[in-house]
Amino acid sequence: MLKNIRNFSIIAHIDHGKSTLADRLLEYTGALSTREMTDQVLDSMDLERERGITIKAHAVRLLYKADDGKKYILNLIDTPGHVDFSYEVSRSLASCEGALLVVDASQGVEAQTVANAYLALENNLEIIPVINKIDLPGADPEKTKEQIEDALGIDCSEAVYASAKEGIGTKEILEAIVKKIPPPENTDEKPLKALVFDSWFDNYLGVLILVRVFDGMVSAGKRIKLMAAGKIFEVSRVGIFSPKTEQVEELSSGDVGYIIAGIKSVTDTKVGETITDADNPAHGLCPGYKDMKPMVFCGLYPIHSHQYENLRDALDKLRLNDASFSYEPESSLALGFGFRCGFLGLLHMEIVQERLEREFDLSLLSTAPTVIYRVTVKNGKIIYIDNPAMLPDKYEAIEEPYVVTTIFVPKDFIGPVLDLCQEKRGVQRSFHFIGKERVRIEYELPLNEILWDFYNRLKSISKGYASMDYDFLGYRESNLVKLNILLNGEVVDALSLIVHRDNAYCKGRELTGKLKEVIPRQLYEVVIQAATGNKIIARDSVSPLRKDVTAKCYGGDITRKRKLLEKQKEGKKKMKQFGKIEIPQEAFLAVLKVK
Amino acid sequence: MKTDFLYIHIPFCIKKCLYCDFFSLHYNETSAREYIDAVCKELSMKKNLAAELKTIYIGGGTPSLLPAGCFKQLFKHLNDIFSLSPSAEITVEMNPQTIDDSKIDTLLSIGVNRLSVGIQSFSNDELRTLGRIHTADNALRTIEGIRKAGIKNYSIDLMYGIPGQTMDSWQDSLCRAVRLSPAHISAYELTPEKHTPLYRFILSRKIKMPDENLVLEMYNHVTEYLSRNGYEGYEISNFALPGYRCIHNLNYWNHGEFIGVGAGAHSFINMIRLKNTEDITLYKNNLAGSILPVGESIHIGSGESIEEFIFLGLRKTEGISIASSENLGLNIIDLCTDLVDEGHLKIEEGYLRFSKTGIVISNAIIVKLFERLSVE
Repeated sequence: MLKNIRNFSIIAHIDHGKSTLADRLLEYTGALSTREMTDQVLDSMDLERERGITIKAHAVRLLYKADDGKKYILNLIDTPGHVDFSYEVSRSLASCEGALLVVDASQGVEAQTVANAYLALENNLEIIPVINKIDLPGADPEKTKEQIEDALGIDCSEAVYASAKEGIGTKEILEAIVKKIPPPENTDEKPLKALVFDSWFDNYLGVLILVRVFDGMVSAGKRIKLMAAGKIFEVSRVGIFSPKTEQVEELSSGDVGYIIAGIKSVTDTKVGETITDADNPAHGLCPGYKDMKPMVFCGLYPIHSHQYENLRDALDKLRLNDASFSYEPESSLALGFGFRCGFLGLLHMEIVQERLEREFDLSLLSTAPTVIYRVTVKNGKIIYIDNPAMLPDKYEAIEEPYVVTTIFVPKDFIGPVLDLCQEKRGVQRSFHFIGKERVRIEYELPLNEILWDFYNRLKSISKGYASMDYDFLGYRESNLVKLNILLNGEVVDALSLIVHRDNAYCKGRELTGKLKEVIPRQLYEVVIQAATGNKIIARDSVSPLRKDVTAKCYGGDITRKRKLLEKQKEGKKKMKQFGKIEIPQEAFLAVLKVK
Repeated sequence: MKTDFLYIHIPFCIKKCLYCDFFSLHYNETSAREYIDAVCKELSMKKNLAAELKTIYIGGGTPSLLPAGCFKQLFKHLNDIFSLSPSAEITVEMNPQTIDDSKIDTLLSIGVNRLSVGIQSFSNDELRTLGRIHTADNALRTIEGIRKAGIKNYSIDLMYGIPGQTMDSWQDSLCRAVRLSPAHISAYELTPEKHTPLYRFILSRKIKMPDENLVLEMYNHVTEYLSRNGYEGYEISNFALPGYRCIHNLNYWNHGEFIGVGAGAHSFINMIRLKNTEDITLYKNNLAGSILPVGESIHIGSGESIEEFIFLGLRKTEGISIASSENLGLNIIDLCTDLVDEGHLKIEEGYLRFSKTGIVISNAIIVKLFERLSVE
């Protein structure tokens, strides 16, 4: 027996109109009255709305009476729209039977269109192409369809034309969902098997787990087992989002909803986890579970050392809601006590930092981001290094993470894009025309190299037209060295970085130059050196302050002079003291600006 | 508490100089006369703040623009309401081109005994760059008039670090100044302040400020040259023949209190720093209604007071007295041991003072001391 349920996601490149379309579907099906609508309801965090990025996945139940006269439950599972969260996207997609592939008719296929569509195809989803923004003057729906067929091999003969902004095509999309996406099977009698695709901590309810039930049923009072974590909890409540939370009697096969079971930490409810009946367990986990490990690390330090405890509390609180983010105390000679934090990617890192500063009112200093290196030391023992300062002087081999990067770019910009990938130590894997105008290029690149201003440069050399996506490939051995920065002969650990030996000289010189620009003149000469091992490879210096302004105190206006001195004092508060030298925050990020 | 130091601000100029961001207005005689009436009213209201005055300093603007009648009215009023010490230092600031022999006689007759002349440079090119209205010849003639009237105690203001100025022309200006044998010379570094035409010219690259090494050389030259000619440097920018230090200005650097009168004038009384309003209409209206024309007031707390004691005192060549620091509960020696070791500061004869190399980076050093004070 089949159920009148359709589970679907919306996938799109950033800004192709996913959130607006979700709003239209909610509005059309009456899930929210127009009065209740604020634009883009599903993006509930402030940051998400400001940055236009969906960070957390959400699920909403829509009720729809179709043209065939029957009533359907449509579960819309929203997905995050950024490459850092691709695993979360894949688990959301695994919870569905179909997906709307939204493509902007004026922009065409972009890197994340392809990346997300592949994720959907891997999960055997029925894909419904939606050509969006057809009302825009530059829209070319026919060309967009060709691109989808070329790049993805998806049949576009029945693609829906839409303008989510104008409400065009909304009904057609709902009909296509009902007709094309297969309904879930009724397997209520089997042992419970539910996939976790999101979870978060609520101050009043504890952890809310978002699940797709594949087999069996779950209701309050049942004992459930989190299979990967091996932990057992008792369910206190189950429910759905309409989009407001609404308690229900039970969730059964095919349903999407939430479970509350007195769980205190999201580390127990990782995305991809399988929930089963503790007293009648299913055989095996839902496929595709991965324990997501942070890929990008940086040190976070309070600028004012008395904020250390506040920073720890803030990290604790953030961690309650974000299992993919890690932190450990560390200390640095230059920066004092802080934390080494791990993130899924650069965007994830920026978001966490911004939330720490905004929501917890902290002033933070962050070191340059780094990847995690695999180092073979004596006797074949392997250690992982997430802080360049920790790289031992002697080791047998060092490996760095590689990613495969997919870039979409108009053909006019091919040259500079290839040059950039080459400069970043890339190895070309494939090169295909998509239609006549656009090219899809795949490069294998060290992850480390795309952390360093890669995306910004890609955007600037392609006048903003290029888009990119990347996927982890594995570790590869590289000829890497530690580049140390010395100020007046002392290594500043927080400025160390790991670079390819061929680039060491160049980067050392550029970095000392950048530091010379950002370190202000002081009472003493500041000698800036770059070194690999004991070898100095670059040197620069900031000459000592020889003179400052000795403006007169005129007509008894002492206040003016005081304000000037106060301002200088305030400026110095933002600096870190390293021995006698004062280092401004920008210095720690100068490495990012090195090509 | 009563104070012995009085400042009167005359905010009128014929034309504002390109580098000036002090408060001044375009001169006209009617409004100057009304202004002096208001100043007299303010003086009356403040008469209880003063004991026996040791100094009166009339600054501006260009006080010498005032008609003789205004000076007579002002000094009659001053003598009526204040008691003046017989040895009081009474200074009037003046600019060349705004004074003649008869006005000098008037000033002498009413008791003025010190003049401060804003010459700035003896190079006509530099004077034009600064937007001054006078020439080198005008300046010489003004000084001649002063000397002819038998006035010995006068001061000359000079500037270095002027765009286009060379070491040669600076030496020349100094040399010509010394030849006039003033009792006092002030040598200021030109500093481009925001909101001045000069600042905008620099931003738009119409004017280029001289290289910092040249300016440093100019500063070193002035201290050395004037001391060779008998002038003692007693403050960063001030030099005097023995016995001719400016008592009024020394009071600022000694962290002393003073009464300020006039639009935009500053006062320091009972640990409060006051600034009168610069709005001249409001100034006159307030006083017409017997209201003190206070624009801003800031209370100086004990921490700030110590900071002021340090940054003002260290401007003086002799520095700050270690004994008086201790009276304020300040252990100044411990605060700066390393800076003394490094040669930026010196401890001599019971005083803490800047060294020759320290004085030119005094702001950086003072900010360091402030940081240490706020940690304690």
